[in-house]
Amino acid sequence: MKRADKMHIAILILVFLFGEAKSAWALQSHPPPEGIYVHQMAHILFMGALAYLYWHTRRTPAIASKGWRYLQIFCIILFLWNLMAFTGHEISEYLKATDIIDKNSLNEQIAAPITFAKALYYFTRMDHFLNVPALLALVISLRTFYQEARKEAER
Amino acid sequence: MNGLPLLPAVTVEFIGSALAILLSFIALGYARALVRLQPNNFIWGFFFYFCIAMAAFSLSRGVGHIVRILLVYDGRSEIWEKLSPWSGGFNTMLLISVAAVTIYYHKGLAAYKAIRLEAEKLSEANAKLAAGARQLQQLNANLEQMVDERTRNLSESEKKFRNFFENSKDIIYFSDIEGNITNINTSGINLLGFNSSQETINFHTLFKNTSDLERYLLELRQNGFVSDLEMECRGKNGAVRHILLSANAIYSHQGDVVGCEGIGKDMTRIRNMTDQLINHEKMALVGNMAAGIAHEINTPLGIILGYAQLMMDDFSKDSEGFSNLKIIERQTKTCRRIVADLLKFSRQSESIKTHIDLNEIIREVLSVTEHTLNIHRILVERRFASDIPPVIGNAEKLHQVFINLFNNAQYAMPEGGKIAISTSKTSDDVLVTVQDTGTGVADDIKNKIFDPFFTTKEVGEGTGLGLSVSYGIVQEHGGTITVESPVEDPETKTVSAGTAFRLRFPAVTNNLYMNGSMRENG
Repeated sequence: MKRADKMHIAILILVFLFGEAKSAWALQSHPPPEGIYVHQMAHILFMGALAYLYWHTRRTPAIASKGWRYLQIFCIILFLWNLMAFTGHEISEYLKATDIIDKNSLNEQIAAPITFAKALYYFTRMDHFLNVPALLALVISLRTFYQEARKEAER
Repeated sequence: MNGLPLLPAVTVEFIGSALAILLSFIALGYARALVRLQPNNFIWGFFFYFCIAMAAFSLSRGVGHIVRILLVYDGRSEIWEKLSPWSGGFNTMLLISVAAVTIYYHKGLAAYKAIRLEAEKLSEANAKLAAGARQLQQLNANLEQMVDERTRNLSESEKKFRNFFENSKDIIYFSDIEGNITNINTSGINLLGFNSSQETINFHTLFKNTSDLERYLLELRQNGFVSDLEMECRGKNGAVRHILLSANAIYSHQGDVVGCEGIGKDMTRIRNMTDQLINHEKMALVGNMAAGIAHEINTPLGIILGYAQLMMDDFSKDSEGFSNLKIIERQTKTCRRIVADLLKFSRQSESIKTHIDLNEIIREVLSVTEHTLNIHRILVERRFASDIPPVIGNAEKLHQVFINLFNNAQYAMPEGGKIAISTSKTSDDVLVTVQDTGTGVADDIKNKIFDPFFTTKEVGEGTGLGLSVSYGIVQEHGGTITVESPVEDPETKTVSAGTAFRLRFPAVTNNLYMNGSMRENG
């Protein structure tokens, strides 16, 4: 089959799928909570990936150097950041509209009384305290790798 | 109760987002540098893609945060509400992308490790191979040097033994178990009368006597060697050589005799000299004895002859007594002639010696005998050298020598043939060769033919004194007489049937020549 023919068939399928999207196609709808669910699942997936990366780099003797140790730190911190972000997203679901006052202004604040959920929300809003150090660890790790690689190359 | 202001959190969010973008791109820069530095390193490749995803995520998220803060606090929340799903969607998608890249790291790393392992093995194998090659090269170089040295030594040794082999005057040969000669030196080829080493020669067939061959083979089998075996070897041209042979058996790995290597010394000349010496002594002894007998018999014979002749005067010539006395006189004269021959043989007879031209002597003899020879279908071939010096001798006696030789030649050629007479000059001698094409002289009687009274003729046909007298005369002239049968041509080396008598007489030097003739008692 020629390439042009394949393209024509693909366009036809897309037209059928999107252009004529009716109930006859039994398309699944994506109401509002789905977005946060997917996002949270993405965090979990990312945490799993980081945990695996950490575990793997720990158990592989061939890659035990200074750069890898920084990478492991990056994994730990970013894992914690994911956990923090996940928690932040979860806890925000429990806050009511009245819990934030002067919303969308510089005086925006969490209304009293400060419950555990509100305090936790406030804390998770400052997730960059983990995100930035994690990325810093990544930078240091890669810089270390680069320096080692250059030394090796120079040798 | 006051609320908890979110401004610090927003500030952290704003600055943190900017820093996150910055750091993620720095990380991406390092990852890219790593990939450029080592393009084949999978891990750097992974980091590169991971950093792209991280940078994209940080950019998406950071920009999202910053834009949100700027829009919301600027009172344009409605714009953000439209952008928010897109920003969130991007964040989620890139988050999943980062996670996916990380998960794929596992498979990629495993593949990379497998490749790396194989590469390391290959590298190790290459290193070993290179080391092996180096070692092999070194060994090869040493080996070449060693081989060169050994080859040189071997070549020198081979040359040494080859020279010894080729230059030896003795026969050196190698043969297989059947006696076929596999290698023989030049002296051997020449001595045996062969043309080249390419000819097939069976050493066993060269043995003249079967008993010698049997002894040779038996000793080789039993002892593994033969030492100082005197053998008579008949060459291709039929000439017989006396060889003193020493040989060793050649064994195979299994211990079987597979051939033989041997050295043979040509003893023919020494043997002939020894035979001549013995013969000379014998002849001298016989000569002395003959001289004694002749002297003792000569006197009574003279008396018998004298008395017989005196008594003949007392009888008439037609009487029976006269006839009887005539027989006594004739037989007594025959006896005196024999006695005279014996004295000639023993050199006891007187003779006058002058300068003699042997060519002339032979011509004189032939002028008398050639006619008779021709009657017996014998052709005479003259090969006289014109420049031969004179010899000192008695012409009459020398006449007798050649008459005897021609008579013998005639007897040896009853069906006719050829007599070749040649004269030549050697360094100190005059050589005369009388060669016939007759029956030849058997080896076993060669040493007896000069003995007095030895004859192969029928009883009554010869006295057996002809060659003895010739021998005595030649000896008296300071010369030698030898017999050769069959005859080998010195130039062509071909052997033909017949007999050759070679007579050597000392040539007269110029001083002697000037002194003229002299008289001697023999």
